[in-house]
Amino acid sequence: MDIDIRGKSFAGRPVLGPIRLTLVQGQRVAILGPSGIGKTTFLRIVAGLDGDFDGTVSDTGRTTMVFQEPTLLPWRTALENITLPTGVSPDAAQALLAEVGLAGKDRLYPRQLSLGQQRRLALARAFAPDPTVLLMDEPFASLDAQTAGRMLDLTAALLDRAGASLIFVTHDPTEAAHLKAQPLTLRGSPATLG
Amino acid sequence: MPAVLSLAAFLALWAVVAVVVAEPITMPGPLRVGAVLVDELASGRLLTNTGITLLRVIAAFIVAMGIGVALGLVLGRSSRTDHWVNPWLVILVNMPALVVTVLCYIWIGLNEVAAIAAVVINKVPLVTVMVREGARALRPDLDDMARIFRMTPSARLRHVVLPQMAPYIAGAARAGLSLIWKIVLVVEFLGRSSGVGFQIHLNFSMFRVAHILAYAFAFILVMLLIEYLVLRPLERHASRWRQDGH
Repeated sequence: MDIDIRGKSFAGRPVLGPIRLTLVQGQRVAILGPSGIGKTTFLRIVAGLDGDFDGTVSDTGRTTMVFQEPTLLPWRTALENITLPTGVSPDAAQALLAEVGLAGKDRLYPRQLSLGQQRRLALARAFAPDPTVLLMDEPFASLDAQTAGRMLDLTAALLDRAGASLIFVTHDPTEAAHLKAQPLTLRGSPATLG
Repeated sequence: MPAVLSLAAFLALWAVVAVVVAEPITMPGPLRVGAVLVDELASGRLLTNTGITLLRVIAAFIVAMGIGVALGLVLGRSSRTDHWVNPWLVILVNMPALVVTVLCYIWIGLNEVAAIAAVVINKVPLVTVMVREGARALRPDLDDMARIFRMTPSARLRHVVLPQMAPYIAGAARAGLSLIWKIVLVVEFLGRSSGVGFQIHLNFSMFRVAHILAYAFAFILVMLLIEYLVLRPLERHASRWRQDGH
């Protein structure tokens, strides 16, 4: 994946400066920096959710994302929350549910799951289409330390097996280290990778 | 239980007023209206006319909901289109149903198409405005999710957009049904030779109040049956994901 951002502004105010980043298959980077520096803006550009910037993102492959919130369809079951967005078969989805510790929960609706279980479901969904690049936007921010630790272990295991690259946005360098992601810091105004 | 008592009190009050007024032609009591209802039922007129009106209601309802939901979705999602179309909606919402009906009969002719078109034109703006509210409240995070996973437009509509819109569409359907059947009667009254509205026209010209009330009650009953046998079960089905437990 080739990221070449020359600049990004909101209403005339520059937020991101020139950022170049090339990711080879399996490479993991963590984007660190304080709140409001532009980490999420950067990730949305990489994800293709924000096309209003100066520059290019190419060679994106199969990119999936784990959002800050679980972002599930509340009116569909756990199983359908994997099969409907990603198009994988129910059998493949069942296997993934088992892998993230949600075996037997396939027919429950998101609100019948705990927040930790919802996040594991979101993780399973992100890995379902066999991604080449996984984007994560502070997915462990609102979890207690113990749950966050288990989620990090699970994410690391799934990443190892899938061999996917990772761009991981966080403000916590220990989380980056846990996922063996190379830490890069956004700093300055407009922000660049220092 | 309070509902039954309240209805019984209404019937009693009505009976008393009818006795006091003592004008059985213009102010018939509940028993007289009941007798007319049985009479009309036995003659087959009640079922035929109620059935015809119901068919018109269903046809107008389906067309109006289809157009209104589609238009409301577009306007709620695109503020530019909304800026252009909204003034038309404001005019149409405030246009008297009677004027629309008369114009349809004049321009299209005294036929079934004009009758249905008149009801649809009266109804679409209301559905559009209600559905537009829902479309404005669609969750942007789920939109992002659908884009990330490259869901097809039809899958997005079915699994992401419509479930969020369901309460608004159900509200529009309910408000729509009661509005439509009232307008259908006006349309039948003005230019059709069948249906409950026509019967009311006929009996109005003969001052037969008991017949007018009998047809009105018959149709209220039909609409209540639709509410409890069709709309409520559909809503329960659409909101089953809100239930707790297994």
